[in-house]
Amino acid sequence: MQLPKLLRTSSFRLTLLYAGLTGASFLLLFGVVFWSTTRFMDRQIDITVASELSEIEADAQDGDLEHLRGIVQGMIGRVPGYYYLLQDATGKVLAGNLSAIDPLPGVREWPGSAKHPKHPFSGLRGRGVLLASGAYLFVGLSAHQLHEMREMVAGSFLSGLGLAILLALGGGAAMSLGVLRKIEAVSQTSRDIVGGDLQRRIPVRGSGDEFDHLATSLNVMLDRIQTLMEGLRQVSTDIAHDLRTPLTRLRQRLELAQRRGGDERAFDVVLEATLRDIDTILETFGALLRIAQIESGARKAGFAMLDLGELLHTVIEVYQSALEEKGQTLGTNIGADLRVRGDRELLTQLFANLMENAIRHCPAGAHVEVSAHRHGARVEVAVADNGPGIPAELRPKVLQRFFRLETSRTTPGNGLGLSLVAAVAALHETQIELVDNAPGLRAVVDLPGATA
Amino acid sequence: MRILLVEDDAESANYVLQGLQEAGHNVVIVRDGRDGLFQAAGQEWDLLIVDRMLPGLDGLGMVRTLRGGGIETPVLFLTTLGGIDDRVNGLNAGADDYLVKPFAFSELAARVAALGRRPRRAAQDTRLKVADLEMDLLARTVRRGSQPIELQPREFLLLECLMRHAEQVVTRTMLLEQVWDFHFDPHTNVVESHISRLRGKIDKGHSIGLIHTVRGAGYCLRATA
Repeated sequence: MQLPKLLRTSSFRLTLLYAGLTGASFLLLFGVVFWSTTRFMDRQIDITVASELSEIEADAQDGDLEHLRGIVQGMIGRVPGYYYLLQDATGKVLAGNLSAIDPLPGVREWPGSAKHPKHPFSGLRGRGVLLASGAYLFVGLSAHQLHEMREMVAGSFLSGLGLAILLALGGGAAMSLGVLRKIEAVSQTSRDIVGGDLQRRIPVRGSGDEFDHLATSLNVMLDRIQTLMEGLRQVSTDIAHDLRTPLTRLRQRLELAQRRGGDERAFDVVLEATLRDIDTILETFGALLRIAQIESGARKAGFAMLDLGELLHTVIEVYQSALEEKGQTLGTNIGADLRVRGDRELLTQLFANLMENAIRHCPAGAHVEVSAHRHGARVEVAVADNGPGIPAELRPKVLQRFFRLETSRTTPGNGLGLSLVAAVAALHETQIELVDNAPGLRAVVDLPGATA
Repeated sequence: MRILLVEDDAESANYVLQGLQEAGHNVVIVRDGRDGLFQAAGQEWDLLIVDRMLPGLDGLGMVRTLRGGGIETPVLFLTTLGGIDDRVNGLNAGADDYLVKPFAFSELAARVAALGRRPRRAAQDTRLKVADLEMDLLARTVRRGSQPIELQPREFLLLECLMRHAEQVVTRTMLLEQVWDFHFDPHTNVVESHISRLRGKIDKGHSIGLIHTVRGAGYCLRATA
């Protein structure tokens, strides 16, 4: 992998940003620690020096300058790091281990570094007082320790900062490489698929991370696309096979009529039959298109809350008279609270098709029962009849396009009704179940119910 | 009726033109959406028949523009787009009816006739009357002569639909759409059985039948045979 590619990755840019932020927060933290340490130590020195001064003053109480000189003299060298100075009003050093300084009262500090401790005043902090006699007394404490600590803190912070930035950059580079590799796997797969290998899927490593989630979602999408493409291929094959027959028949009839000739009435009969055949073919086309459209899933956008009970009552009402005309009886058992999320028009057609199948394939005297009930979160609708039914081994096949039972060849229909039912069910993320009603057929659709 | 037909396919246009002229309508054809828009906006028409897919400006855009400009001439969409969404989109754009190609001419003729009458049949009509058949839309009652007729709610709707289009042919598809909100073609003869039931209630025992079957087209409610 070339370097520029790595540098262009978003994760590496993120790393850079992260490193910058780390550095900035390190510096901020350093500043705060440094400042508060220094202040704390300064205060410690000030307190120590002040108590030393007051001790000396207490000792020299009421004594003259000479007495004070003796005390100061006695202090020198007792504790290393302590410095004393007593000078008179003219600035002459009377006692102490420091050279003469300007007699300024209060806290005084000579900055210095731990590296140059030679200079007597370097790194000294103390307090001076002007005595009544005009003399000046100063007590100081070497701040070398403080400086050493400061430098140590600064040093460790700086090296820590360097290390942190290095780690962030290194980790970022490693992470970017890893991400790049995973993304490369995805792009390689998509290139393979574009290249024609539709079976290819993005490898899922099983770690359960977001890349796995992405890979899984993309794979599901690819599966869906493949299913759709296969569906499309299936439809074209179906059309080619199943429309050939009626078109051939049509052509033969027209050719025969042309050969035979005849009067206007004879032609009229042929024309009428021809129109009827063409309408049937067009209707089949329409049904195929509708199934394809439903299978594409685009209708999902139109889903809404609807009352399945009301919808079923409408469907039943539409078919009731046709059913009675055929000498069949109808029973309904529709429960309450049948609200579902779905497409009204398509669900209407689903149940209309089931009703129609029952009416069409059952003899006179048969009984059709429509029932719908809520079972927890699901709504189950069943259209059952006591007609001839479908043999168990053929039940899955009747959902396929153009499949028709031999026994139903004589009744009108294009073999697409149940395919459409299956497609609508699939759109609603469920399926149509065909079970034995002993005797007859029971078609069950289990829809996800909507909660209030 | 003065009808503007906006259709780019010459053969289709000719088919519609011939049929409508035979039915006594005065038809003008334009070939693209832009011309259609100018014509529709510039003159008085009784009906616009518009193809969905047109060069220049598509049918949907054309109708939307017309409606946006306050022109309320009835519009019938003709289209090969048979999808459910396409129908909904077409009606949302402001069309009054929608017919998917290929169609039987009788279907188009019936819908053209129905749209043409629409403005005169105001929605606020509370009573409909054909011969001695009377319908009170407020009280939801029907009587023939002096004899009241009991109807189921859906039978009432079916009769209302026929009475609103009295003297005109109403097709099976139109009834399925308007009475039951069915936008697909059931193979079972559901409309036939509902009509025969209604006929049983309306015409039984009367010397003159009002509900007529028009072969190959649909049904018609009229006083004369």
